[in-house]
Amino acid sequence: MEIASTCDVKPAVNAKGLVRTYSRGAEKIQALKGIDLDILCGEFVGVVGHSGAGKTTLLNLVGLMDRATEGSLSVLGHDTALRGVHFDALRRKNIGFVFQEFYLMPTLTATENVLLPTMWGKARDMTEIGSAISDRVPSRKRAEELLNLVGLGKRMTHKPSELSGGEMQRVAVARALVNSPRLLLADEPTGNLDTATRDGIFNLLMALNRDSGLTVIVATHDLSLESRFTRVIRLEDGVVK
Amino acid sequence: MIWFKLAFKNLIRRKTRSILTVLGVAIAIAVLYSLFQFQQGYQSRLKGELGALGAHVMVVPKGCPYEAATIALHGGKWPRYMDESLLPKVKANPGVAEAAGVIMDAVFAPGNKNVILLGIDEDYMKLRPAWHINGHWFDSDSSVIMGSTSAQEAGLKPGDFWTVPEKNVRLHVVGVLNRTNTQDDGFVFLPRKTLQKISGLEGKLVLILIKAKHVDQTDALVASLKADEVDMNVFPLSELLGTIGALMASTKVFVSAIILIAVILGGVGVLNTVLMAVFERTREIGMMKAMGGSRGDVFKLVWAETILTTVLGGVAGVFIALVSSRLVEALIRGMIPYAPKGSLIGFSLPTMAMCVVLSLVLGLVAGFYPAFRAASVKPVEAIKAE
Repeated sequence: MEIASTCDVKPAVNAKGLVRTYSRGAEKIQALKGIDLDILCGEFVGVVGHSGAGKTTLLNLVGLMDRATEGSLSVLGHDTALRGVHFDALRRKNIGFVFQEFYLMPTLTATENVLLPTMWGKARDMTEIGSAISDRVPSRKRAEELLNLVGLGKRMTHKPSELSGGEMQRVAVARALVNSPRLLLADEPTGNLDTATRDGIFNLLMALNRDSGLTVIVATHDLSLESRFTRVIRLEDGVVK
Repeated sequence: MIWFKLAFKNLIRRKTRSILTVLGVAIAIAVLYSLFQFQQGYQSRLKGELGALGAHVMVVPKGCPYEAATIALHGGKWPRYMDESLLPKVKANPGVAEAAGVIMDAVFAPGNKNVILLGIDEDYMKLRPAWHINGHWFDSDSSVIMGSTSAQEAGLKPGDFWTVPEKNVRLHVVGVLNRTNTQDDGFVFLPRKTLQKISGLEGKLVLILIKAKHVDQTDALVASLKADEVDMNVFPLSELLGTIGALMASTKVFVSAIILIAVILGGVGVLNTVLMAVFERTREIGMMKAMGGSRGDVFKLVWAETILTTVLGGVAGVFIALVSSRLVEALIRGMIPYAPKGSLIGFSLPTMAMCVVLSLVLGLVAGFYPAFRAASVKPVEAIKAE
């Protein structure tokens, strides 16, 4: 089974002078203050720092959920500053997200939750890139294979209320992989989990990177995980240290 | 289909709220179905009842023609009479094919049951070619013919004797009408002279029913009868249908206003519920977008939820209307001076289809703004929101 699509862009993420400023009333808050970075395909990168350092802001920009105030950012070869870049479609086809909150639909089974992202924009994707996507169009079989991969082969028909926190996060990981992304972003994926469960999820992310070459970027404030990344980007008050 | 499956699953997450919203729409649609069907049923039943009179023109004493029509159709005691001597004059009119003089009275049988008595003669039979009497026509002044329902309720058959309530007059049941499915089924027919005598109305008539020689010349016949008998009300039954129809049409505006208000309230209820649900699910919607859902995807999902709510409400509304039709009918009948007999709110596929289509349109309209709000949610802000 293909876990991720081939990442053949060099670098996968390239940022130059990246600034993100928010307005809170009259006050201007600069969450990122001119960041330069390169992340290569196949890397397992940790973005670490204390709360408020700018980790989530950086991930949101890389994940095409937000636009930079200044600077340039290229994600998987797409210049995000260019007008006409369709963030939704790019994100749908290339980027998988895992968050601290699992956000599983309570009325759907584990398999159905994994299949959920396959609903979005399918018709448009088919038109845009023709039959090339047909091999990537996920099916129930793929969702089941992914649940097997994350160790939930026997919990496929369970609803979120019947799963533990760790199991729900595993479903969220499978859901992030269902569209065969080229980049997996995880924002505090173990923040809500106990130590044993945290290690399980972290090992899963490591295995995905190691076995399939998937580029994984994890934001965490858990400094004990630092040594397990292939590279660490340390953020402090919106600046790379 | 997957959109509607997901939309349905979203609805059942908040069962009580969804049920109450569906109920709001269902009540609006039930009102719509009931009133619409009542108006349609009213017109068609009224036409049927007037047709069953077998006459083209009616002569009644001066007074409210609406009241006269009620008496002619449903029978009863009406303290307005005309002289029987008028009947030969009417019959002598060259445009008249048949004319039957009728006297009516109403008495209460034990159990407070209203019994309508009609005094008729052979002329009345000529207006009723479809009548089939189980037994035979009057053979004496003390004979009686029962309508099928009247006979059934009193437990009578040809050969039995029946005592007229209040009057204490014993009559011989010489015949029972086979079911006609008209107002005649509920009447009791006596020889005209007999009823005039026992009611103390000798030489009086309540109405004269006239069959025209040439239906297309009914207006000319009415004009000629009016010229002869200025003190009577002479009107073609088609005009009566028009009069009652016009009276009902005047209530149409009022009824339409009620329906409109009910539907708008239902729609506002749906809009409010879906909008609340969108606000509550801001983070979830943000997640959908983070997973690649576009504005259109989110719009479609919320719209599908709204449409599902209103269409379910529409179907439930039709069901409620059908189940409660007797109760609604009784309520409306109590508020209007005259309504034809029989069931007026019935099963009508076109009306059902209209109700379901309207509920669909309601969903499209009421769901647009919440769907737009949901589609406008920015994933970053949604995920940050508490």
